[in-house]
Order: sequence, then structure tokens, then C-alpha cells
Amino acid sequence: MAGVRVGNRIIGAQAPVTVGWENIPKVEGGPLKRLFFTCFQPAMLFALIAFWFYAPNSIAKASTAIGIGVGFKLLLLGLEWLAPRHESWRLTWKELATDLFYVGLGFTVLRLVDSYIGDGAMIEAVQHVLSWDKFAWFMGLPLLLQAFLISFVFDFGQYWMHRGMHNWYPLWVTHAPHHYITQLNVNKGAVGNPVELFLIGLGVGGFFDFLPRAALLAGTFGLAVGTYQHINVRFNSPKWWRFLFNTTEHHSVHHSQDFEASRSNYSNTWIIIDRMFGTCVDGEAELLGMEGGRRMSIRETMVYPFSESWKAIKERFGRRVAMPAE
Amino acid sequence: MNTRLINWIWHVRGSLALAPGQTSEDALDRLDPLFRQTGTRHERAGDTLSFRKKDQPAQDKMSVFDEGTLRVGRGPTGPVLEYHLISRALLFCFLAPVLFLCISQVTVAVGKLQKPETEAADKAKKEADAKKKAAREAKMRLNPIDQFLGAPAPEKPSKKDKDKEDGDKKPSPTAAYVFAGIFAALYLIGRVLEDKMVKTLFRKRLLGT
Repeated sequence: MAGVRVGNRIIGAQAPVTVGWENIPKVEGGPLKRLFFTCFQPAMLFALIAFWFYAPNSIAKASTAIGIGVGFKLLLLGLEWLAPRHESWRLTWKELATDLFYVGLGFTVLRLVDSYIGDGAMIEAVQHVLSWDKFAWFMGLPLLLQAFLISFVFDFGQYWMHRGMHNWYPLWVTHAPHHYITQLNVNKGAVGNPVELFLIGLGVGGFFDFLPRAALLAGTFGLAVGTYQHINVRFNSPKWWRFLFNTTEHHSVHHSQDFEASRSNYSNTWIIIDRMFGTCVDGEAELLGMEGGRRMSIRETMVYPFSESWKAIKERFGRRVAMPAE
Repeated sequence: MNTRLINWIWHVRGSLALAPGQTSEDALDRLDPLFRQTGTRHERAGDTLSFRKKDQPAQDKMSVFDEGTLRVGRGPTGPVLEYHLISRALLFCFLAPVLFLCISQVTVAVGKLQKPETEAADKAKKEADAKKKAAREAKMRLNPIDQFLGAPAPEKPSKKDKDKEDGDKKPSPTAAYVFAGIFAALYLIGRVLEDKMVKTLFRKRLLGT
């Protein structure tokens, strides 16, 4: 495979990757279908923003956000079933059960651990030790600006954590299991070792004081943009959307079996962060995973960071203490 | 004890009549491509085909099964394909509700273990928190742009909300109960669906459609 030069890198030399928006297929079908899959993403985003901006205080609550999140994901699962992007990514019962297991861990064990040692707890400890108050001036900003900053600052942190995971072995062993998925579906974002999911969830947002409504609006960016990273549906995303936001196309390149392609598109929501740091590759890939598409079992996913770290430590230090044979 | 009484949970058994005149060799030849997949090893010995899978990709049509045997035998009306397939995914899904119920109990236990802080420290912390909250609430005002656009003004939390907020700090087992229920339903769906789907897959292959 020859690959395509993108900046200093050759993308797609090891596994097929389509580079360039002009080479990516469009949604096929009647005018109504094309209109639906062109307008769906922006319409949902603007509708959700309008909802959270104007919803009365009695409705604008975290419980409503959870309900909307579940409903939205069910809707997207329906779209995956009706109009799959790739037949080879079609959701099977086993894939659904596996994905939901990781989602379940996130909602239960991880949440419990997070409440004690997560970013919230850490920030509270730092503020307590340094007698540091929250940045209350943040609350005086317009709601949408607050929401944008919460989302962008969190994503900026995620970008560097994610990029670090692809460049530093101790972090990579926590993230590697997530790269063994061989297809993208709505709940695939939750698949991975809990240590990675804990690390990627760390943020500095807790240092700021913001209006509850701004946090709900910021969550909307995650839901109505970030969710499309892992989904088996083709959309005709508008140009401005693809320029600003991460898409299934971008994230499929990141999950490609091609090594160079997988070292791109690190952000979660704002692909513009990748554009700022030169790691964005506009394109798509269907053949995903590692080791030629080997699927990692749940058991291996759970132990992988520890077993690989142990192997690496043994390899590095084992030789030094090994006694020569008599 | 007859293990069949419990192993139906993750063992799928079934049989299919072969087409009139179809030989066992022809039947297994038609099924053979299903086992030429990444992560699958298979062996044929006479009328029997056995297989084993490891880290099979999601794209494998039989990815839900990890091992099994297919044998062409004699039925009352002619030759039949008898199969016995084993799925760890089904077993795991069957056990998952137990796991989530255990997690729910651990969550409850952790909530109970949260030791109440010493009275003096508790009082000092409460006072400091109340001061911070009061200062925060005083600053909770909408930006003029948002007022112009018509966003509802933020409400100061009522006493009831504050009590609720304090109560919410305890970890809740609800999510674990919900996932226990989801996996119980998912198991029932999977046990019926995968049984039917593999039968359909074999039938289509045998008939060559």
C-alpha cells in the first residue's frame, strides 16, 4: 500500500484509509433521506442548546440531562439499525452486551471510585490546602460562553491526556485495550480499561464556579457532538461542523489499523484543537483495530495495563539481576 | 448430576434435516467457510466438524460461540445435522446481573461506612461551606446578554433542595440495580435470538442460498 502524504506523514501505508473529504462517500437515497442525514446533527445540537437555554429551572436539572442522554443514545442505536454506515460494523447481540457491560461499570464502580479520588475530590483537596476559592468571576460571563469554555477547556485537557497515551508507554498500556475494537457503535466510547476511563475523565473544570445551566449546556456539546465519534451511521456533516467538531470519519481514522493514522485526531469534541496542533487528518477508515483485527476479551481488557507493565518491568530490570549460568 | 440441566444456559444445541440426497461430506463442505475466520481453528474427522475460537472479531458471523461440534447423524426421516455450541458470552451475560447486584451491595456498604466526621470538625466544615454557598449564591446572576435573550434567572436553592443535595452525597445503588435488570433482559433476548440466528445461518449455508 502506498499511502497518502499528509504533512510529514504517510497515512494508510499499512491499512486502507481514505484521506480527504472529497473522497468520502455521501449518504445515498431519496431527497428526504439525504435531507434528514444532512440536517440531523446541527438540528439536534441547536435544539438541545435552545432547550437547556430556555428550560425552566424546575426542568433544567441533572436528572433531565441523564434522561435526555439515554433517549438520544436509544435514538442513535435505532439509526444504526436502520441505516448502518458499514455492514461490517453492524451491532450484534454480543457487541451490545459487551458494550453495555463497560457502560454499566462506568455508571457504578467507576462513579463510586471517582467520588473519592476523581478530579472533583482532588481539586477540593488542592483548594482546601491552598485556601483557594473557586474562580467566581466565571459565573458572570454569558451562559453560552461559559458553556463553550467548560467544554473546550475540558477537551483541551483530554486532548493532551489522549496524545500522551499514544506517546508514553505507561499511559499507552491503559489506553491500548480501547484500540482493539474492530467497529464503531454508539456505546463503544465506554469500552476500555477502567484506569484509562478514570484518567481521561480528569479535568480542571472544578476550579471554576459556573452556573448550573452552563454546565448542562456544556454537557450538550459532549452529547450532541462527542457521541458521533463512535457510531455506525453516515451523516453528510456540514463543512463548518467537520472543521470545528470531531466526527465519525475523524475517529475512524484514529481507530484505523494503520499505525500513523491512529496517531491523529485525539480530541473528543473539538477537532479544531487537533487542527491547532497539526494532528488532524480528515478522512475515514473501515478496517479498525490492532494486531490485524484481534478482538480483546473483557478479561484481557481488565488485566492488560497490569500484565503489560509487569512484562515491561521484567524486561527492563530482569536482565540486570539475572545471574549467569554456571 | 446431569449437567444438561444447567448448561443449557450457555450451550446451544439443535438439529437440522439435510436436503434429500445430501451427503455428510457435502453438508460439511458447505458449512466449512464459516470456520475459516480469523481466530478460529477447526478439524474434520469423518462426519464430525469441531471448532474452537479465540479473540474472534466482531465481524465473525459465529463470534458469540467459542467452541462446538457439528455432526451429521441419522434421524428418523433421513440424515440430520446435529450441533452443540458453547458460548461464554451467554454465560457471562447470565451471571452479569449477579455481578451488578453485588456492586449495588458494595455501594450500599460503602455509603454506610462513610464515618460521620467529628462533631467539632463537622460543625466548622458546615459553617465554612454555608459561608461559601452564601457568597456563591450572592454572585449567581445572569449576564445582561442572557437576560436580554430571555434565559430564566438562576434560583437560589431552597432548604428542601439543600437537604436533598446533602443526602445525594451518599453513593446510590440505583444504577447497579438498573444494569442488573438490563443484563437479565439481555440474556433472555440473546439466548433465544442467537439460537434462532445460528439455525438460520446453518440452514442458509446447507441450502446454498
